[in-house]
Amino acid sequence: MTRNSTPIKRSPSYTTTSEVKDQIEALIGALNGILLGKEDAIKLALACLFARGHLLIEDLPGMGKTLLAHALAKVLGLSYNRVQFTSDVLPADIIGTSIFDKNTSEFRFIEGPLFAQLVLADEINRATPKSQSALLEAMEERQVTVEGMTRPLPEPFFVVATQNPVTQTGTFPLPESQLDRFLMRIEIGYPEPDAERELLRGGDRRKALETLGAIIDLQGLKKIQQSVDDIKVSDPLIEYIQRLVGHSRQAAEFAYGLSPRGAIALLHSARAWALIHDRSHVVPEDVQAVLPSVVEHRLREAADYSGHGGGALAQKLLSGVDVVG
Amino acid sequence: MDSPKVNEALGVAYQIPRNSLALLMIAQIVVVLPYFMQLSPWIIAVGLFCGYWRMGVYQGRWDHPRRWIKALLVIASFAGVAVSGVSAYSLEAAASVLILAFALKLIEMKGRRDAYLVIFLGYFIIATQFLFDQSILVAIYELIATIMVTAAMVGMNQLHTRVRPLASLRLAGSLVVQALPFAIVLFLFFPRIAPLWTVPLPMGATTGISDHMTPGDIARLAQSDELAFRVVFRDPVPANKDLYWRGLVYSDFKSGTWSLGPQFKPSHPRLDENYSGEEIRYEVLLEPTMSNWLFALDTATAEASNVARTLDYRLVADDPVMSVFRYEVVSRPGELMDDRLIPVIRVREKKLPEGDNPRIRAFAQALYIDSGKDVATFIDAVLRHIRQELFSYTLQPPTLQREHSIDEFWFDTRAGFCTHYAGAFVFMLRSVGIPTRMVGGYQGGEINPIGNHLVVRQYDAHAWAEVWMAGRGWTRVDPTAAVAPERIELGLNAALSLTDRAALSLFTSVRMGDWGFLGRFLDWTDSLEHRWNLWVIGYDTRFQAGFLENLLGELTPTRIGLAILLGGSTSVGLVAIALFWRRRPVHRHPVERLIRRFGDRLAGFGYPRVASEPPGAFIRRVAEEAGLEATQVDNVVAELNTLLYNPSGTRSGTEIRQLRGQLRRLQFRLAFSLSH
Repeated sequence: MTRNSTPIKRSPSYTTTSEVKDQIEALIGALNGILLGKEDAIKLALACLFARGHLLIEDLPGMGKTLLAHALAKVLGLSYNRVQFTSDVLPADIIGTSIFDKNTSEFRFIEGPLFAQLVLADEINRATPKSQSALLEAMEERQVTVEGMTRPLPEPFFVVATQNPVTQTGTFPLPESQLDRFLMRIEIGYPEPDAERELLRGGDRRKALETLGAIIDLQGLKKIQQSVDDIKVSDPLIEYIQRLVGHSRQAAEFAYGLSPRGAIALLHSARAWALIHDRSHVVPEDVQAVLPSVVEHRLREAADYSGHGGGALAQKLLSGVDVVG
Repeated sequence: MDSPKVNEALGVAYQIPRNSLALLMIAQIVVVLPYFMQLSPWIIAVGLFCGYWRMGVYQGRWDHPRRWIKALLVIASFAGVAVSGVSAYSLEAAASVLILAFALKLIEMKGRRDAYLVIFLGYFIIATQFLFDQSILVAIYELIATIMVTAAMVGMNQLHTRVRPLASLRLAGSLVVQALPFAIVLFLFFPRIAPLWTVPLPMGATTGISDHMTPGDIARLAQSDELAFRVVFRDPVPANKDLYWRGLVYSDFKSGTWSLGPQFKPSHPRLDENYSGEEIRYEVLLEPTMSNWLFALDTATAEASNVARTLDYRLVADDPVMSVFRYEVVSRPGELMDDRLIPVIRVREKKLPEGDNPRIRAFAQALYIDSGKDVATFIDAVLRHIRQELFSYTLQPPTLQREHSIDEFWFDTRAGFCTHYAGAFVFMLRSVGIPTRMVGGYQGGEINPIGNHLVVRQYDAHAWAEVWMAGRGWTRVDPTAAVAPERIELGLNAALSLTDRAALSLFTSVRMGDWGFLGRFLDWTDSLEHRWNLWVIGYDTRFQAGFLENLLGELTPTRIGLAILLGGSTSVGLVAIALFWRRRPVHRHPVERLIRRFGDRLAGFGYPRVASEPPGAFIRRVAEEAGLEATQVDNVVAELNTLLYNPSGTRSGTEIRQLRGQLRRLQFRLAFSLSH
């Protein structure tokens, strides 16, 4: 898949502070050092988190999914927990459980691995639907309810889930309702030959991960997220997004169209992408760059209703809609 | 029939989608519904049975019928039509077979092919209904039926995962509406070709006045508010008392019944050019009567070639009137009918059965001698007798015997309506040897205030007499005027007693009385129906020719063809423009317009813009293909992106003009590089 990353000249009415810009550049640089030759995937992952969205990484085992998630937590300076999903993981294993304390004669809540700023839900589609759904409230409300008590999750709260392609054995496909809660679904893909040669030569990347420190703090992350909100959007661009969404609802090859939440997700991701590319406003190139990651997991082909939302659909959506109204 | 094994092999793609099937079944019911009026009930029962069976199949409770059951059903249906009493080559028989086949197809259809067959049959059945009835209500209903059938066809082409019956209905509706202008053009221009074979006409009893008359007939008609005909006057409408719509001349009397008597070949007389008296021109739109006599005022000459005049001055159509029939008439009240009486007519109009009604014969002969054997004096004496004696006018007279019925009426019961009085009058005059005849038709009518046309209904049916007098020809004498003058002056309502009025139907009373809103509503529907008759049903070969000659001048096949082509493309074009206008971009950014124009121009050089290409990417791509440096277009792209996508940037006219200039220069540069 080719991502359109045509260089766009910086506009004169440039508003992001150079501090934010430098931080973002540093983040990308650091992550590039861990996951070699995957700048687009890194940028998308960052854009997703900057847009306050949860991220789903789908790829074959051994492509660096976990590595990327862990590296993200480190460079962003977030507390990090990992949940390894299997078919016998229960909701209590994720959220936590109450244990009777002999000394105080009271039940004490032991927080589960969900109580971290960045949770890596590894191989989420190996879990049973019951455990998958335990993540649901957490992701949407950023809080969990256990035994009648509602407990807030840390702020910020990100779920980075990884999953194996659904066609692999031993997987439970995520339901649409849950897929919809992920802002983006990205793939990493095989490395380029150059990157792979360097990878082979340089040894285990996990060692590099250990030396990796936080590049920004919580304050910095909030500032970046604020900057995303400040990215401007013009009427012609909003109309373009409306045309895209409208096409997905009307054209016959889509089993169903994009929801309003999908439309908002698309716009917000495009904003984050614009920020990463140092623009004060969104251009169609931004929308087109994030569109496959944002919509692929939200769409189904009409001809293959139960099938896996395909990249072909995103391309059909892009080619079927005129950028210029 | 397919064996189950073959069906499995056919697979899902050849099956009828379940939801479309429901829509299709509803469409089938809608299409067949109006036939309930025309066909015998058992056919509907078969249809319902098939529908019930199909519902069972639909719900998975029943199976499709086996082959021998289907064969049995088909044979039984044909046998049923054969024994149901309709003649083999009648329209009813054909329609029965069609509807039965349509119903049986319900339980037989399995694959898409069957469904399409049912859909096309549905259209055919819609068209067939117009052979029975062409009223405006039926037309509206069949339009809806067309939409339903089209919706079923739309439904057939939906993916089974994405079935939306309402959406298919909407789409079908808009398809039909979009087709309407073209349909109108075809209706106006397409040549009315005479049928290559005769379509059998629907059977039905003669409505209105018939060719024989017993005293009870008119009373029965007076109960009916059914429409007889409408008249559009070119000249001022004559007074009510002069509106004698002459239709039939009854010359034979036998056993209390009047009938037409011997007929002679009708002719097409020309208008006498020396006539200088009053002339009334009008057009009559006659409702179907299933017979060929027409109604007109005295003395009538028709202008159409398919209307002739009989020897007794009646107008007749060449063929029985099966749908609304238009004919233009010139009536000349001053023109004599038969200034010389030819022998056959004289014989016909003086004949009486031997021995019938002896008392009134004696009475007439005595009165005739009293009047000094003068015809005019004698007529006056008879009318005076009716006026002075205790005769009464009623729609519910005592029943008369078949023999000596006129004696019984004249001397004993003395109560009756127009037929009784006219009959007795004619009998008396004939019994003294004066040529006299009974005339049937309608008298009066109401002006519809909305359409300004005259409406004549069955309750206006009337009978009167005509006496031949030397020098005056056939002269109209209406004995009813002697007993109930208000019937002639004001219409039936004024002449009716309370008991008569109570016996009338609701609509008749409403039409006659002043019921305010309801009456106005009836006027309105009547004028609507009238316009429908005038412009749609009455638009036949003759009127089409007139319309086309007005429009095109001389009629040649080329001109008609061109008119259809031109009209057709105009109507289709109008629909296309309307659709385009509805989908036009509501608001287009000025910069977007610039880019579109730029893209169109570059497409001329062979570098079209791909729809999905952002404007900046497009310019860069073309520049690269033209061998330009990327830096040469950086400025334009930045300017363009700012104007279009940066809402905080200014967007004044000057900047847009500048961008236009830049784009034009770039276009020239590109054109130059591309051509080298």
